[in-house]
Amino acid sequence: MDQPSRRDVLRTGWKIGGALLIGTAVYTGYEALRPLTTGATAGPVEVGPISSFAVGTPTYVPAGRLYMVNTGKKLLALSQKCPHLGCRVDFCDSSGWFQCPCHGSKYDIGGEWIEGPAPRGLDEYPDVSLAKDNKTVIVDTSKVDPGPPHGAHVYYAPRKGPNC
Amino acid sequence: MADDTETVDRDTEATANALEPGRTSVDHGFTARVKRSETWRSMFRHPQLDTPRGRALQSFSNFFLHLYPVRIPKRVLRMRYSLRLGFIAAVLFGILLVTGVYLMFVYTPSVNSAYGDMQNLKTGVGFGQLIRNVHRWSAHLMVLVVALHLVRVFYAGAYKKPREFNWAIGVMLLLLTLGFSFTGYLLPWDQLSYWAVTVGTSLVHYVPLFGGTLEKLLIGGPQVGQSTLLRFYALHVAVLPASLVLLLSVHIWRVRKDGFAVQRSEPGAFSEEATERAAPAPAAAAMAKAAPELYGGRVRLLGVVDRESVTEADRPVDDTVYTWPHLIVRHVVVALGTAATVLALGVAFSAPLHEIANPNQTPISEKAPWYFAGLQELLSHFDPLVAGILVPAGAVITLVLLPYIDRNPDTRARYRKVAIATFSLLLAIIVVLTVIGVFFRGPEWKWVPFWQHSYVEL
Repeated sequence: MDQPSRRDVLRTGWKIGGALLIGTAVYTGYEALRPLTTGATAGPVEVGPISSFAVGTPTYVPAGRLYMVNTGKKLLALSQKCPHLGCRVDFCDSSGWFQCPCHGSKYDIGGEWIEGPAPRGLDEYPDVSLAKDNKTVIVDTSKVDPGPPHGAHVYYAPRKGPNC
Repeated sequence: MADDTETVDRDTEATANALEPGRTSVDHGFTARVKRSETWRSMFRHPQLDTPRGRALQSFSNFFLHLYPVRIPKRVLRMRYSLRLGFIAAVLFGILLVTGVYLMFVYTPSVNSAYGDMQNLKTGVGFGQLIRNVHRWSAHLMVLVVALHLVRVFYAGAYKKPREFNWAIGVMLLLLTLGFSFTGYLLPWDQLSYWAVTVGTSLVHYVPLFGGTLEKLLIGGPQVGQSTLLRFYALHVAVLPASLVLLLSVHIWRVRKDGFAVQRSEPGAFSEEATERAAPAPAAAAMAKAAPELYGGRVRLLGVVDRESVTEADRPVDDTVYTWPHLIVRHVVVALGTAATVLALGVAFSAPLHEIANPNQTPISEKAPWYFAGLQELLSHFDPLVAGILVPAGAVITLVLLPYIDRNPDTRARYRKVAIATFSLLLAIIVVLTVIGVFFRGPEWKWVPFWQHSYVEL
C-alpha cells in the first residue's frame, strides 16, 4: 500500500472533522429540543373522590385534561385529546357520546370510535389508583395507552338521542 | 485648505467632463460641494452622471444596485412580464422584518405574559396595534404572493435549464414562508392561535415511524405549552429569518446571473452567464465536431452568447435598456404600492385577538390558517397519513424535482400542453379545497356556506 500523501490525509481529515461537527450540531439540536425530563406537565393528578363518578356521566378534570368515566364495570381515565388532530372532545348529553368540534369525530362514553376521521378511540390513562385515604382517585398522566382501534366494541354504548 | 478644495474640484471636474463629453462647468452649491468632499466620495465612489457610462458605473459601484445587471431586456420592464411578484414578496419580507423588530421590543414569549403583551400593544403602545396589523397582513400577503410567484414562474417555463436549481430554492423559500407564518401564528397565545397550532402540529404525529418523536420535538411536551411557545418564537425570529435571508440571497443572485429574464427561443435572447451551461450553438457545434479534442463537451466562443447562438452582429436590434433608472424606478413604485396596500389593510382590518388560550376548551369552529385550510379539507376525506403527510410531502418533492422531470426545453405554452394541463388541474384542486375549507366549513367541519354564517378567520 502506498504511503498516503499529505494532501490525502488532509482531505480525509476535513471530511471526518466535518462529519463530527455536523453530528455534534445535530445531537446538540436534539438535546435542546427534546422535551425536558423535569417540569413536564405529565404526572400523577388527583381527580376527586371515587364516590363522585356516577355511572354513565363523564366528569371533566381540567387539571389532568381528561375525562373520568364510570362505565359501571370500570373507572376509565380518557384523554380529552381527539386522536385525529388534537382538539378537545366535548361530551354531548343528548347523544351520550363524545364529539370533536374540529372535524366531527364521535366516540361512545367508553371512548370507542363511532364515526368521523379519527384513526382510533380516545387515548386512555391506564394507571388509575386510590390514594392512601382510600377515597381519592389518582391518575398518572405520564403513561398513555392508545385508544381502541375501529370496531373494537369493548364498551360500546349506543346513541341515546340526537347529536349536539 | 482652499487649495485642497480647488484641487478636488478640478479633479472632479476633469472626471466629470471625461465621463460626460460636453460638460464644462462645476456646480458650486452646498449639496454639490458635499458630494465632492472626500468623506462623501469614500462612501459613494462615482458621481451620478446621467450618461451611459455613468449609469453603468453607478450600478457596478453600488451594493444595492449591483443586485441588478447593468442592462436588462426591455420586456422585463413590462408589468405583465413578471407581475413583479418576486420583488413584491421581497418587499413584504422587508416590511415583516421592520414591523417584526418593533413587535419584539414589546413581546415576551411566555404563556403568562404573551397574551397580555398583545393587549398592551393595543392599548398601551402608540401605533402598536397598527404595527401588528401590518405585520399580519404582510405575512398573509407574502404567503399568497410567493405562491403566485411560483405559479407565474411555472406558466412562463422559467424553471427550465439553466434555472432548475433556482426553482428548487424557490420551493424551499415557499416552505420557509409557510414556516414563518405558522410559527408566528402561535405567538399571540389566544384561542385561535393555540388550537390552530394544535391541529397543525398534530399532523406531524402521522409521519411513519418517527411521528411521535417529531411531534414532541416540535411542541416540546405532551401538548402545546410554554416549550412550544419558546421554540416557535426562536424559530420565528432567528432560525427562519437567517435561513430565508441566506436562500433569498442565493435566489436573487442566481436570477441575476441567469440573465434576469426567461430565455426566449428566438435569436437575440439575453443571457449573462447562461452560455456556460448552454448547448453548443451550430457554429460552435461544428467546431466541436471538427476538433473534438479542442472543443468537445462545453464550448464557449466569443460571440456565442446563448443556446440559440447569437453574435453581437446577428442580434438585429439591441433589446436591452439600462436598469438604472428604468427598472429601479418601476421597482420603487411597486415597493411603495405594496407598502401602501398593507398599510391600508392594516388600518381597515385589525389582526384578530380572541380569548386567552385555554387548553381545556376547543372553540366551536376551529380551523387551521387559510393556507392550510385546503389540507384540512383533504384531511376530512382521507386518512391522515395520506392527506396530512403523503400528499403534501409528495407535492413538495414533485415540485422540487419538476425541472428535472420536465425535460422539454421549450418555454412556449403551445409546446407544453401536458405540463400546463397537469399543473393547472392540480392548482385548481388546491384552490377549490382551500376555498371550501375557508368559506364553506363550520363547526365539526360541517358544510356551512359563508353567506349563511361566516367562519372565516385571518
